[in-house]
Amino acid sequence: MSGFVRFITRRVISIIPMVLLIVLINFFIIHLAPGNPAQIISGLEQPSQEVIKALEHRYGLDKPLVVQLGIYFKNALKGDLGYSYIYSEPVITLIKERIGATLLLTLTSAVLAFISGTLLAAWSSRYKKGILDSILSILSYVLYAMPSFWLALILILIFSSNLRWFPTAGMFNVRLSLHGFSRFGDILYHLFLPVLTLTLIQIPVYFRVTRSSIFQVSRDEYILTMTAAGLERKKIFNKYVLKNAILPSVTIFGLTLGYAITGSALVEIVFAWPGMGRLMLDAVFKRDYNLLLGIYFVLAVCICIAILLTDVFYAILDPRIRYK
Amino acid sequence: MQSEKVMIKRKSNNIIKFWHSYRQSLYGLIGFAILLIFIIVALFAPIISPYNPHAMKGEVLLSPSLSHLMGTDHLGRDVFSRIVYGTRVSLSVGFIAAGLSAIIGIFIGSFSGYYGGIVDEIVDKIVDTFLMIPAFFLILIIVAIFGNSIFYIMLVIGLTTWPQNARLMRAQALSLRERTFVMVARATGESNIRILFTHIIPNGIYPVLANTALQMGGAILTEAALSFLGLGDPNFVSWGKMIYQARPYMTFAWWAVVFPGIFIVLAVVSFSFIGDGLQYTFNPKLNVKQKKVSA
Amino acid sequence: MSFMRLKNVDISYKLENTSVRAVRSFSCDIERGDIVGIVGESGSGKSTLALGIMRLLPPNASLSAETMLFDGRNILSFNQDELRKIRWKEISVVFQKAMNALSPVHKIFTQMYDVIIAHSPDTSKGKAYKMLTELFSKVNLPSKVLNMYPHELSGGMMQRVMITMSLIHNPKMIIFDEVTTALDVITQGQLLDEINRLVREFGLTAIIITHDIGVVNEVCNKVAVMYAGELLEFGKVKDVIFSPMHPYTKALVKSHPDLRIGNELIKGIPGSLPDLTDPPGGCIFYPRCDVRLDLCKSVKPEVSVLGDRIVKCHRIQR
Repeated sequence: MSGFVRFITRRVISIIPMVLLIVLINFFIIHLAPGNPAQIISGLEQPSQEVIKALEHRYGLDKPLVVQLGIYFKNALKGDLGYSYIYSEPVITLIKERIGATLLLTLTSAVLAFISGTLLAAWSSRYKKGILDSILSILSYVLYAMPSFWLALILILIFSSNLRWFPTAGMFNVRLSLHGFSRFGDILYHLFLPVLTLTLIQIPVYFRVTRSSIFQVSRDEYILTMTAAGLERKKIFNKYVLKNAILPSVTIFGLTLGYAITGSALVEIVFAWPGMGRLMLDAVFKRDYNLLLGIYFVLAVCICIAILLTDVFYAILDPRIRYK
Repeated sequence: MQSEKVMIKRKSNNIIKFWHSYRQSLYGLIGFAILLIFIIVALFAPIISPYNPHAMKGEVLLSPSLSHLMGTDHLGRDVFSRIVYGTRVSLSVGFIAAGLSAIIGIFIGSFSGYYGGIVDEIVDKIVDTFLMIPAFFLILIIVAIFGNSIFYIMLVIGLTTWPQNARLMRAQALSLRERTFVMVARATGESNIRILFTHIIPNGIYPVLANTALQMGGAILTEAALSFLGLGDPNFVSWGKMIYQARPYMTFAWWAVVFPGIFIVLAVVSFSFIGDGLQYTFNPKLNVKQKKVSA
Repeated sequence: MSFMRLKNVDISYKLENTSVRAVRSFSCDIERGDIVGIVGESGSGKSTLALGIMRLLPPNASLSAETMLFDGRNILSFNQDELRKIRWKEISVVFQKAMNALSPVHKIFTQMYDVIIAHSPDTSKGKAYKMLTELFSKVNLPSKVLNMYPHELSGGMMQRVMITMSLIHNPKMIIFDEVTTALDVITQGQLLDEINRLVREFGLTAIIITHDIGVVNEVCNKVAVMYAGELLEFGKVKDVIFSPMHPYTKALVKSHPDLRIGNELIKGIPGSLPDLTDPPGGCIFYPRCDVRLDLCKSVKPEVSVLGDRIVKCHRIQR
């Protein structure tokens, strides 16, 4: 098990420079953006001289750039991301309120996409070169090419406007104040279309990776051994091919999550989902840089954590990694 | 002189050989055909589009008919004509942004991989970080802060998506620098810069080219998403912007939302197909369905 | 009746535009208890032949033969289910690349247990564990190996694991495919001794595929010399190695440091294997043969049977 601990420690350490790099990018954007950094951090359009002085002191803006960078790092890591001028609240508070809804959407869809992409790949690999395989393959190209927001609109057109099966917007019905299980059910009901959109968008990645991985693993030596040993094909496939073939999809899970969050932000806007997407849109329109940079930072940290968790999961699945 | 002619001949032979092998990929061919049509549409937009894309003469929100193939939008503009003009924006974004990304990626990747050392490690770390964190948010922030002209958008996409190419190129450079012909070149005293430009880059560029085709599609999607958020260039018609503008009227004029989206999908699919075709051509090993004869 | 009778076995691989005729009209008889070495350079078709006998060829390969009898049954006509039943129960195989021969993400016991229940589904885990521990002790492996993953073992240990695995169902025949190739000389020697001992202890018939004629000399009682997909010489080891008849066998023996007679120089064989997408019409060894005749270029030599020995050379026919 010590190999496992060593592996995780190494991964945690390797995440640190990434977080620092994000902070660095943010810092440079603030300083390169038109306007005074103190004004950006204050979140006010016309901050008074006293406010500017106070902020300059607090963030060391009167000190040399390197010192400023140091202070910025310290604050960012403590969670102090400045104030949002449109909401006149600390950025971190705003993000905390909404990140749950975004993560619910992103993670649910990512997990569903992983599972369905893998299953579809397994299913279609049985009909290699057949019609079904070709249809799925072309479908995966099309879904991959689809803008998430457009797919969201199309699904609303079909399922909400025409069929009236699902609500068009929101996370729960505000007119009913539901509690307990019925509230949970209501959220699920509202979750359906956004999650469907995001799942469909992500399936192609997992489908294609697993499909080619199944193809490669099927030609590995140990599959030959198992065939030679007289194991049934079904058993070989379900136990040996699948577990080995799933590994590349697990590695890309963390990376795909970044893509999923991008999709979420856009889909949230379409479905008026009370997550970070809406916050981001407001920040973009009112040019609330501080809020934008804060969102960027928090999402980056979330992705880093997700990648770390993926690594842990990977290390559980693949014993080799623990000994490297 | 003589040798130069031979060189030229060999080059054109290579192109023919390349085409012969590219032709084997059905997807690649279809993608290429779709792209050709798009290029023609972009070049001859004024001839192809039946109406002025900005003219608000027609009736508003007309459903598709013979006079308006894809209907009209909320300002009475012809959707089909706007889509035709939108091709120009999408294709330019695709070509220029991904092209820029390829150039930066090739330079940084080949230098980093060929020279190695501490610089290489730092580059690798930066590339890792950029690959993990979605570029879209960074693009969004930069465009929101620094302005949303189409030129900026292309520039920013190019400047934020190069790490993928750098990684591919770096891996090539790492393996190429150990190859005999590069060692020989070094032993005979060729300068490092010369080796980079005559051996490493020309021999290692192929994976980057295939990836660039995929990134062209990616750039088109990014531009569409920016436009959908209202951050598109206000001076040009783009498919994303059409969807953005038509969204409020979506329930009674589906066509103004649906058709531009279909064209985005078509364009991106064609680039994916081309990317796969190129991959097939450059790396036939991937597609040899048989196990190598082992005896 | 021979234990295994192969007559005119042909195997070819279909590649993109061509096909490679990897094994051509291979015939030989193997008696019960024989330890037959199949020796040849890489590319001679010997591993393909092994896969062919197990009917494990990849889908792009095609196999045809006049006769393929195993223990009185025609395995050529077996369907997948029948094949599955004799695989490992009656013929098992130990592959060349031991390190990749087991799934990297499953414990060794898990995989061994699956092989056990593939043919005796009622075996309990405890019973399997006991049986495997016993088998392991025969090849000097500690039982804790069962709870390990393949990458935690050395090449030699993995090869022993694979040998144990081949013995699980007490088969009648085992094919050892280049089992010692990837190992260092010392491990190679130990492993050969163990194979030698096990084959006798279990009363097995064995086929040992190797490019090293020294290995054949140590372990086998019969040898088949293959070159470019054809059988050139077959017979008892003591006949073939100590008085080779085919010029290729002669060259092969001469090129081995331990088998040369007296102080003869070690000699390589100049030239390389012919193109098997279009094998030459005459003798397959013609281009590299130092005693070739004009006839050899255009006419394929017939198989000459001299007692229990087979040679395929014009010089012998005369």
